[in-house]
Amino acid sequence: MKHVITLNVNGDPYTVSVDPSQTLNEVLREELNLTGVKLGCGSGDCGACTVLMDGRAVSSCLTLAVEAEGKDILTVEGLAPSGEKLHVIQEEFIDKGAIQCGFCTAGMEMSALHLLNKNPSPTETEIREALSGNLCRCTGYAKIVEAISSAAQRMNDASERNQ
Amino acid sequence: MRLSKFDFHAPKTISEAIELLQSKGPDARLMAGGTDLLMKMKHGAVKPPCLISLKSVPGLNAIRFDESAGLTIGATALLSEVAEHPDILRHYPTVAQAARATANVQVRNMGTVVGNLCNASPAADNPPIHMAMRAVVLIEGPGGKRELPLDEFFRGPGVTALLPAEIVTGLRVPRMPVNAGTAYHSLSARGKLDCNAVGAAVMLTLKGKICEDVRLFISACGPTPLRGRKAEEMVRGKELTEEIAAKAGAEAAEESLPITDLRASADYRTEMVAVLTRRVLKEACQMALTSQPA
Amino acid sequence: MREFNIVGKHVPRNDARAKATGTAIYTDDIKLPGMLHGRILRSPLPHARILRIDTSKAAALPGVRCVITGEDTPKIKYGNWRLFPDTQDEYPLAIDKVRFIGDEVAAVAAVDLDTAEEALSLIEVEYEELPAVFDVESAIAQGAPVLHDYCPSNISVNRKIQYGDLEKAFAEADYVREDTFTVHAVSHAYLEPCSSVAQADLDGRITLWTSTQTPYITQCLLASTMNMRENDIRVIKPFVGGGFGGKMELRTWEFCAAFMAKKTGRPVKFTLSREEEFLAGRRRHPMKLTSKVGFKKDGTLTGKDLRIHLDGGAYNAMGPTATFLCGNFGAMLYRYPSYRFFGEHVYTNKPPASAMRGFGAPQSIFATETQMNIAAEELGIDPIELRLKNAQVSGDKIPDVATISTCGFKESLEKVAEMCNWKEKRAQYKTGGGKGIGIGCYSFISGGVFNWFNTQYPFSAAEVRAFDDGTVHLLTMAADIGQGCDTVVKQILAEELGLKMEDIRITSADTSMTPQADLGAWGSRLTLMNGNAVIDAARKIKEQIFGMVSVRFNLNVIHEMECKDGKVFPKGRPQRSMTFGEAVAMAQKANRGEPLVARGYYTPRDKGMVTPAFSFGAQVAEVEVDKETGIVQVKKFWTAHDCGTVINPKAVEGQLEGAIQMGLGYTLSEQFIMDGGKTLNTTFLDYKMPNAMDMPPSETAHIDTYEPEGPMGAKEAGEGLAIPTAPAIAAAVHHATGYRCKDLPITPEKILNATKSL
Repeated sequence: MKHVITLNVNGDPYTVSVDPSQTLNEVLREELNLTGVKLGCGSGDCGACTVLMDGRAVSSCLTLAVEAEGKDILTVEGLAPSGEKLHVIQEEFIDKGAIQCGFCTAGMEMSALHLLNKNPSPTETEIREALSGNLCRCTGYAKIVEAISSAAQRMNDASERNQ
Repeated sequence: MRLSKFDFHAPKTISEAIELLQSKGPDARLMAGGTDLLMKMKHGAVKPPCLISLKSVPGLNAIRFDESAGLTIGATALLSEVAEHPDILRHYPTVAQAARATANVQVRNMGTVVGNLCNASPAADNPPIHMAMRAVVLIEGPGGKRELPLDEFFRGPGVTALLPAEIVTGLRVPRMPVNAGTAYHSLSARGKLDCNAVGAAVMLTLKGKICEDVRLFISACGPTPLRGRKAEEMVRGKELTEEIAAKAGAEAAEESLPITDLRASADYRTEMVAVLTRRVLKEACQMALTSQPA
Repeated sequence: MREFNIVGKHVPRNDARAKATGTAIYTDDIKLPGMLHGRILRSPLPHARILRIDTSKAAALPGVRCVITGEDTPKIKYGNWRLFPDTQDEYPLAIDKVRFIGDEVAAVAAVDLDTAEEALSLIEVEYEELPAVFDVESAIAQGAPVLHDYCPSNISVNRKIQYGDLEKAFAEADYVREDTFTVHAVSHAYLEPCSSVAQADLDGRITLWTSTQTPYITQCLLASTMNMRENDIRVIKPFVGGGFGGKMELRTWEFCAAFMAKKTGRPVKFTLSREEEFLAGRRRHPMKLTSKVGFKKDGTLTGKDLRIHLDGGAYNAMGPTATFLCGNFGAMLYRYPSYRFFGEHVYTNKPPASAMRGFGAPQSIFATETQMNIAAEELGIDPIELRLKNAQVSGDKIPDVATISTCGFKESLEKVAEMCNWKEKRAQYKTGGGKGIGIGCYSFISGGVFNWFNTQYPFSAAEVRAFDDGTVHLLTMAADIGQGCDTVVKQILAEELGLKMEDIRITSADTSMTPQADLGAWGSRLTLMNGNAVIDAARKIKEQIFGMVSVRFNLNVIHEMECKDGKVFPKGRPQRSMTFGEAVAMAQKANRGEPLVARGYYTPRDKGMVTPAFSFGAQVAEVEVDKETGIVQVKKFWTAHDCGTVINPKAVEGQLEGAIQMGLGYTLSEQFIMDGGKTLNTTFLDYKMPNAMDMPPSETAHIDTYEPEGPMGAKEAGEGLAIPTAPAIAAAVHHATGYRCKDLPITPEKILNATKSL
């Protein structure tokens, strides 16, 4: 039996009819065409499908869509709402050379955002811990860690200026 | 890797959940975070016709700490919430550490401590320390409420003492005795993205330098987390010297019942039980010593 | 050394923004109207005869549009080397027999994935199970089960190299040792599972979007297996989520998508699950290598005799090339006055092994380097001193094999020793004391020459179209799979034409538009080969405009012209200039409006049969070993390497850092756990590749060389760096524990067992 759910994705309200066996990943990619959310393993080990659900980084491949009823979902497509001006995390990923094949990138950025929202000044070890659920085969993580560290710095500088 | 079809229910109360379990038959499955269950379903290991999620039961995710009653962790409290809770970090540091050692960030944001227990994997991170700390499982079922010490809860891999239609609503962990220390170590033979090859947790109470009480549990070395009774005897009533710790480790290794699987060989596990037992005993003892009033 | 404006500078990748925002389209992101979803039925048995397949129930399931087995296909065998038809041993779907667990038996296309999945379970296959072999020894034993009728010995390919007088070499040696090494299979573990979408065009052509590193190879092999002409197939490579050698052959799902799209008239998509990738995916060759080397007392090498067996799995895949390359790499790094190699590629009932980053070199050089470390210890010579004594240098020739034009090996050794305080640490850490450092080195090819000679194609080609608005459009078959070659060739073109990055538009890897041939991304060939083709095309553009500009400024014929900063001018007289766009307009006007287009190509000459250029490098690992648990922690890596001119510094660093992750996993944590022919660890939970917490810090130095055969002096920097990590860690572990690993991977248990008996 299908369930009609309403959820908020990247600030936009959606009402979708889903089968209980559909994962959030399937609904985001197949029904809402948010293909920036990747599927790397389907078992919650690689992190390529990471999205924020009510502010928490979760694996969309291990989340049932029916359980996203009433939730706020943020995907990579919602990171930079204007489309033109990128999020600081995205800018740093680009500038530091943290992107190679790009398949892990969206998930890495979402994990980075989850970390920086909780901990604006993480140490290198804290960054690495926060990425422990995101695998990358291209970069060896070095430039990803560097990008997140630099993004944290810039976000802190910006919030100081705003105060 | 797609999920098989099932009916989904999200009851709003525990009694509604119990009724659903009774009416949907023995193949219906209860889920909290769902991370373990959905994985098993994706790999075709189980095909439940019906899932009953507990996440919509209000208040079931509560974490409460009370000076006298101790800690209560609700069935849907997330692993990440347990790992970061200020009272748990302060009064139950090893409970927080075990929650934090479980899987990865995303899974900790979805999965629960109680779910990790109910899954009854012998390699799970959370059971050993809770068993060592005399945690009690809070159960509700058709016959009403009951409580069961956690060390009587596990019956085999994936098998618990729950009766049909019973639900674990929470876990109560008594306060740590004065002059006590706890520790948990786990090892994975390969890499950090992991499921443990072996783990050991202990709670140890000192009187002066003498170990008055000790509870040691070993994971991933038998069908359920095992209690190291002979190792405990080796320590109880004595001062924890290097020699005693080593002897206790050897006893624990003797008592363990490891198998060879993907994650390690039986021989390696046996040897590591000795090493980890020694390490957790020393660490817990150190913690107990430093917690004693000068 | 030349001065560059764009080459060697920090230039962000041209696809970084699309990837950072999630707008980059990978194959599985493609959704076409009416698209069907495909799934593959795989063999549950390692070796069996197919007696009967009944697809009627599956075909009758509502929503199923097409079910095929090998019998429905043209039954044409394929393999990567059409030049050697006897090495082609694979059908897209099994005919008569299955040879490994996961071998493809049938395919279904349905309106959705759930229906396709259900249909698979309705296909009935009756098998007669046959005896199977899972290792080389059993496969080559007398009376062993035969996998392929054409090959009763199960040895599908062999390769010999010999030069110098080996008997004399060993007779004259003061010290001779022989060691046997075994190395294991590992997974490419690219993050993007393989995916393909096919659609039939109006004129009967098939368009295939596919996650591949070799669009041209896919095009020609798909055409042959479909019994069509090459240009009846159009292959487009969308963004690809990594390959590492695992996406460079025609694969079953590519064939099935195309074949079923043709049959149904509807687009068909196949995407593998991670479980399928691990269960049945290609992998690095397990090998057994026996190496005998001779030295003089002073450490001078006299000769080497290397014999290897490759455990190839059920089909050749890229195994013949790996066999060939193992032999070549065995002769690299050091000056062997005499050398003999004999390699055999053996069939077993396991998933086929194939190309993987380093392509035979990680295995071959693990043996070379570990043996070098053992010899250094026994001869009482410092491992770096022993290497310096024997190191290859610029100008060295390996008879019939290779000519080394530039070689920064000695400089790499000296540099890395200085970076890590080699001498102090070697002396400070006592053997067996829990801490240690060790060295491993590498050399790698910049694209292969072998296997492509005797064809009518260049090794690489490029087309440049120049426009009067000051932009140029580059068309190339080079396949960017994440390594960043689109950015690198754009930099080379911008440099050569004196333009900015934003003046260059690129279309790459669409076989209907980009110049024919080019073997794609493997063998670390693109920077050198495609870079040279791009330069060739750019120079032809310049030739066409320089004449016009010269006439315009009424220059003396001896004047040379230059393109720089978007302008064209006589050398040394930038005040007399016009913009690049004006020059293009003038050239077109002078030729009655003919569009200004040039084609460039690259075909190596006089470089031996291996490669136009070699990279070199040395790496040191420092480790700490927990002597009670046997767990190894790598504390730091230092690397000094020679890749010629660095075109894009961050891309080169990224290759190194990624290579270390792969090398670390290969050495310590990654392996396929097999029960007979069945792969047991089919998830990332149990296939343990290093995560961010496992990675140690790393320091790097580039050794400055200018490779005359390379574009602007560049050579490879992709695969070679994946080679030295295993021998470096193994040597450091030996220093820390006394355990000498000749049998990868290094596990805690092996360390404990070995140190107990020391």
